[in-house]
Amino acid sequence: MMPTPPTSTMRQRLRQGRDRLATALITAGGIGVIAAVMGIAVFLVVEVVPLFWPAEPPRIRLEALWLPQDVAGLDAPAYRWQPTLADDGGPLFSLPPLVWGTLEAAAWSLVIAVPLALGAAAHSALFMSRRLRARLRPTLELMEALPGVVIGFVAGLALAPWLERHLALALALLLLVPPGLLLAGGLWRQLPARLQRRLPLGWAALWLMPWLVLTWGLAQWLGPLLESQWFAGDLRAWLEVTLGLDYASRNAVIVGMAMGFAVVPSIYALAEDALSGVPRSLAEGAQALGATRWQTLWRVMLPAASPGVLSAVMIGAGRAVGETMIVLMASGNTALMTANPLDGLRSMAASIAIELPEAAPGGTHYRLLLLAALLLFAFTFLVNTLAEVVRTRLRRRYRRLGGPS
Amino acid sequence: MRWRRRDTARARLPRGEGPWAWLSAGSVALSLLLLALLLGLLLSRGLGHFWPGDVALVTLEDGRQLAGRAVREEPLPDGSGRERLYRTGNRDLDGAIWDWVALAAIHEVSYPRELLVLERRRWGEFIGRLVALEPEAGPRLEGEAAWSALEARLVALEARREAIRRLREQTIRPLVRRLEREGESAEVTRALAAAEARIGALRASLGGASLVLESVSGQHSIEPLEEVVRARRPNAMSNLDKLAAWGQGVWRFLSEGQRAANTAGGVWPAIFGTVLMVMLMSLLVTPFGVLAAVYLNEVAHQGRLTRLVRIGVRNLAGVPSIVYGVFGLGVFVYGIGGHLDSWFFEASLPSPTFGTGGLLWASLTLALLTLPVVIVATEEGLARIPHRQREGALALGATRLEMLTRVVLPMAMPAMLTGVILAVARAAGEVAPLMLVGVAKLAPQVPVDGDFPFLHLERKFMHLGYHIFDAAFHGGDVQAALPLIYATALLLVLVILMLNLTAIFLRHHLRSRHGTLSSY
Repeated sequence: MMPTPPTSTMRQRLRQGRDRLATALITAGGIGVIAAVMGIAVFLVVEVVPLFWPAEPPRIRLEALWLPQDVAGLDAPAYRWQPTLADDGGPLFSLPPLVWGTLEAAAWSLVIAVPLALGAAAHSALFMSRRLRARLRPTLELMEALPGVVIGFVAGLALAPWLERHLALALALLLLVPPGLLLAGGLWRQLPARLQRRLPLGWAALWLMPWLVLTWGLAQWLGPLLESQWFAGDLRAWLEVTLGLDYASRNAVIVGMAMGFAVVPSIYALAEDALSGVPRSLAEGAQALGATRWQTLWRVMLPAASPGVLSAVMIGAGRAVGETMIVLMASGNTALMTANPLDGLRSMAASIAIELPEAAPGGTHYRLLLLAALLLFAFTFLVNTLAEVVRTRLRRRYRRLGGPS
Repeated sequence: MRWRRRDTARARLPRGEGPWAWLSAGSVALSLLLLALLLGLLLSRGLGHFWPGDVALVTLEDGRQLAGRAVREEPLPDGSGRERLYRTGNRDLDGAIWDWVALAAIHEVSYPRELLVLERRRWGEFIGRLVALEPEAGPRLEGEAAWSALEARLVALEARREAIRRLREQTIRPLVRRLEREGESAEVTRALAAAEARIGALRASLGGASLVLESVSGQHSIEPLEEVVRARRPNAMSNLDKLAAWGQGVWRFLSEGQRAANTAGGVWPAIFGTVLMVMLMSLLVTPFGVLAAVYLNEVAHQGRLTRLVRIGVRNLAGVPSIVYGVFGLGVFVYGIGGHLDSWFFEASLPSPTFGTGGLLWASLTLALLTLPVVIVATEEGLARIPHRQREGALALGATRLEMLTRVVLPMAMPAMLTGVILAVARAAGEVAPLMLVGVAKLAPQVPVDGDFPFLHLERKFMHLGYHIFDAAFHGGDVQAALPLIYATALLLVLVILMLNLTAIFLRHHLRSRHGTLSSY
């Protein structure tokens, strides 16, 4: 290129100017977008503050939010969330039932999801064949993408009625699956070596599926037997009479199962990352000293990767706390404070979804729901940040230990 | 450990891994099994609904007869055998469309060819026999003649209904709009009257004929022909006919609006609303997401602050979607929408125009919700581009803008696309925030029509996910709506899985391409 000098400098200057302008625009736009996203926290705080610094005397006492209140018709003060006017007095705003519901739902979903996800992560980091592992990851990613409304619908309208009718079968399944798996392992060891090569441990995740279906069949036979033997023929009645547990069709356990299913993939992905990121030299050293693969995992890899696994569980907890549609559809939405896992619950997120469109903007109810949203925001943001920090530290530690190979 | 004692066997067999290996393998198998179970349930219940199954004529031991499709079987509560649920239709005659029958009480089940299934506009299905067809004029037709006449009539009826619909949409609606805009004028009034008269004439030609029906329990009823949508005799259909009917059913489900309080008809408005909202959202989220990512990765000084902001943005992806919904309601709907109303739409206050949930606010909220997804994906793509590419461009005399637009952004294109697709997949499945900012149970008007400005951003819209929630929890007869909800859920899952698969493939393609790139 040989342009004449004067136009060249002109063009040069034009290009420079355009560049500076574009950089300024990108900077402004980028900062603007990021500020808009961060504005969520600001908005929530601004809207919630009038609850605590009221310009006019507040209509409700603030202690009432977290202390038990006198409820008409009850002798002792109790926690009640009754935002619309009841026939026996004003609205009752008491946050503990909602907080309790949220935590209970999250806890049950973690009870279900953590063993499944961590087991799956351990298996795929240790035993699984590389080809299957490469397929498993996208499959579980697809599982993560299943919309909550579909899972909630299936849980609320298919799983809940099914469980209500087949309580004994579910119990039998719970009792049979772990021994069934151990039995599969024991039988596998008795197989001739040729068959063992046909059914390698690396592909156990696939060929155990028919085995689980077999277990299901066995449970179908054992369930009624159990019920008539131990529970006087009706497990549900037995629960109510002997243990005093009411059974609500949509209950915390259903929520836990549905939400656990939804949370498994995220915990799995992060935990598997942490485990397979452990420098291979460590694992190889342990195995060279005669440890089995499981001993390697338990004594060497898990201590090294424990912060990563913990952060995976934390992220799962964050997701479970904020999930709305599953709880909304599978929980019955009764604001109760009971430790009974077979009773309904109402979470903060579900309350917001149901009540906020009807709450008058600026009113106490509206601000209280925004307070709930702020709590959700703060909790998930903190948990995620903590998890992120832990993971960054972990990555640095791996690099120091010899880097992922 | 349980197998420790078998040390002698260990020498011959491969080394044992202990019980935990099997438990952990079982957890993978269980997760996959649950996923397969869920998808299988959706597939079978969702697609099975459209199959015109055989109609059974059940004779009970006490002589009572009923006709219906077997739905499922359950053990009796007292454990003395099983009972079967039949979908018998005939809500107008029996008051219910279901019938539980104990298996022990069934004397005989047969499948007579002449059993008729009518789909009606009111009252849902009729299952029974066709006695006669009474035309407006002329002799009454009975038996096979009535059936063939009915089939021919229904085809003609469908054509007329279509004509009425078209007249209403294409002639009357624009005329009414004009009337609203310009006030009364003789010409418009005349045109309107003419169109109304034509519709009236078509309407009149619909009516007249009626069907004489008999349920298997012997009750007679007379059904005006114009109430009938479809007539079938499933027991007389071959498998090929059934397959064709199944295809038609699926197509109608995708292309029609809903009828009978969501228990019949299709989900077209919900599909349309979902797609439109998601398209608007991706139009909003793509430029802003890319802008923020480019700023964070290419322009901003890479210091502690930028790292903090990056972690913050990443974590916003984990904030519950309902919180975004709250933000959308408080800021967009009540804040901005309320002000827009008081500035531009004062005439129609107190009924809000933008001060209530609508298409625009919903797409903005979801754009905000998916912004972190796009930012993270784009940033990943940008970070993957080797530095020597940038340095090469700069060394050849390009300014930063030219380097960005000619070298960096084209190379990051697949990553951006992946981000946008993931954002779309996430947005299509989100329901909770939409419940706050503009989804409707039954939107009276589609947000796009022939009237200026064609795209009505303030209108409410229908959404597949919300449709599932609403039909499942606020509908009257959930049992009757259940098959359609399953079909809707299947549709939503399929759409989202397709989007995610595309994103996975794109990412794979991207990785392999950059694998070759960095080896230069």
